[in-house]
Amino acid sequence: MIELALHLVVLIKVVPDGKEVFVDPVTFTLNRSMATNIINPADENALEAALQIKDQTDAKVTVMTMAPPFAEPFLMECMSRGADEAVLISDRAVAGSDTYPTSLTVAAAIKKMGDVDIVFAGEKTSDSSTGHVGPGVAEFIGAELASYSRKVTYENGYVTAERELENGIEEVRIPTPAVVTILTDSNDPRRATLRKKIDAMKRGIITWSLADINIPADWVGLRSSPTVVKKMLPFPRKDRKGEKIEKEKIPELIDNLVKSGVIRVEAE
Amino acid sequence: MAEMKKAEPPKDVSQYKGIMVYLDSFEGKLTRAAHEMIGVGRKMADKVKEPCIGVVIGDKVDSMADDAGKYGCDEVYGFESHDLSMYRSRPFTDILSSMVFEKKPNILIVPGTKNGRDLAARTAVRVQSGLTADCMEIDVEPETDILIARRPDYGDSTMSEIRCEKHRPQMATSRPGTFDLPPYDEKRSFKKEIRKVELKKDQLREEILSFKPKGGEDITVSKVLVSGGLGMGNADGLKLIEQLASIMGGSYGVTRPVADLGWAPRDHQVGQTGKIVRPDLYIAAGISGKPQHIVGMMDSKTVIAVNKDPDAEITRYSDYVINGDLYEILPVFIEELKKRKKMKDKN
Repeated sequence: MIELALHLVVLIKVVPDGKEVFVDPVTFTLNRSMATNIINPADENALEAALQIKDQTDAKVTVMTMAPPFAEPFLMECMSRGADEAVLISDRAVAGSDTYPTSLTVAAAIKKMGDVDIVFAGEKTSDSSTGHVGPGVAEFIGAELASYSRKVTYENGYVTAERELENGIEEVRIPTPAVVTILTDSNDPRRATLRKKIDAMKRGIITWSLADINIPADWVGLRSSPTVVKKMLPFPRKDRKGEKIEKEKIPELIDNLVKSGVIRVEAE
Repeated sequence: MAEMKKAEPPKDVSQYKGIMVYLDSFEGKLTRAAHEMIGVGRKMADKVKEPCIGVVIGDKVDSMADDAGKYGCDEVYGFESHDLSMYRSRPFTDILSSMVFEKKPNILIVPGTKNGRDLAARTAVRVQSGLTADCMEIDVEPETDILIARRPDYGDSTMSEIRCEKHRPQMATSRPGTFDLPPYDEKRSFKKEIRKVELKKDQLREEILSFKPKGGEDITVSKVLVSGGLGMGNADGLKLIEQLASIMGGSYGVTRPVADLGWAPRDHQVGQTGKIVRPDLYIAAGISGKPQHIVGMMDSKTVIAVNKDPDAEITRYSDYVINGDLYEILPVFIEELKKRKKMKDKN
């Protein structure tokens, strides 16, 4: 039997850089519109997890995003780090899609590729933070799923992943095709190299429209999204008195907190 | 596996009734997050006068089903199999989705633990409906039976209200710690149905090789938390934070930027991307109070802010505000507490 190269697909999203937010001097709200864009941090870890498998095994890594063309330089960056191929799903009709049509569209692109063994995604994005798309894709393509994973290995048709849960680390083994979602900071993403960057520029980016992946335009977008953002509300404030305490009055404050049982002072 | 097609809304949404609550469990016990969600479900059920339906999946579910009933479910459905002692994405999705198709609930709420989020995201796709993650507020509009799900938008100081008007069930998750626990009533009557499940081989392709419980402290159960932000200036500041925390028998927390810098482990991060805590006392030292952090601590019973900036956002969420450098203020707390300990010793 001929051993075919593994096909790994990494899903990325371009997000505003959360560290670069500015306080609007008039409204005192935080303004993201001036922020620059970055690859969603967890997706960088997802790419690295895929590249680490490629270091060990004969594999092709495809990086994919659903976005307007402004995402192209970020796909190039992923190729400069070691991805072999980049796919941009770009279509005006997808604007306003929630996680259902987004998962559907991404799943359709994966199905079009036909030979995908493992899909990698970040555990969540730093902008909307739902973490729904990875599991949603698994559901649409009928793959096994290991979410919230760090340390992913592949051997003989099986993926082993360490899932980091609230109360412990669970090691799971799932057969391919598989979807793994990767934890933020779970590895140290490699840097781009000049050589790979030149290669990437030669190869370019593959752009698919919805027609290319056989998704009707009325299956996606705001109108075909089950959820809608109805309104924006001010962030809830808990009315607290914010009583100013001078440094000299700290002993008094502690006495009061001890008296009301908030602090318990046990003998040593 | 879900069909590759758009999410089709049901023709008649009025057939969908009841509030279904998925009951997340660990080692044969419902999680705190599951109890919180029973409380949320119970409140909505009372408002619309529809049943609160619990679904629990596991190895042995009888006592968990009783627990759910006594905390507020009107009906509890338990699914039992030796293969289900731990969460497995596919069979749990299969079971929860089949309950959605069978009971047609109007609303389905799922605890936002990692496994719960995994399950909710898959189930939403399987049943072709809409899901809102990380809700801080979950309510129902009695006139319309519409779920009002509110979640924070990070980077902006706003909250979005998200609705799923046409599709059913209307789904939401909330992070553990977001809500208070509902009252427990030993005498509460409820309906219980335990079903034995036979799973097929293709539902059990996921194999759990091992589980290592996490050591270290769980900051979500600490009664006292002292947290440090970027105002610490460097990683050494954490020592002072820890010292004050330990003198009060509590633990320490940090903000996201502090964890990002590697000054403290992620397990101690408080906030949207960290833990949601509600201790008796929360001391926020050198923390400006970004929404990301506020979400994680705003329900603490007593909050003390220690900050150089007297107008820092955190002061709006604080009962007491001490204006000053944490390196000058926290040692005063430490000394004063030490004095009181010594006095106790003598007595």
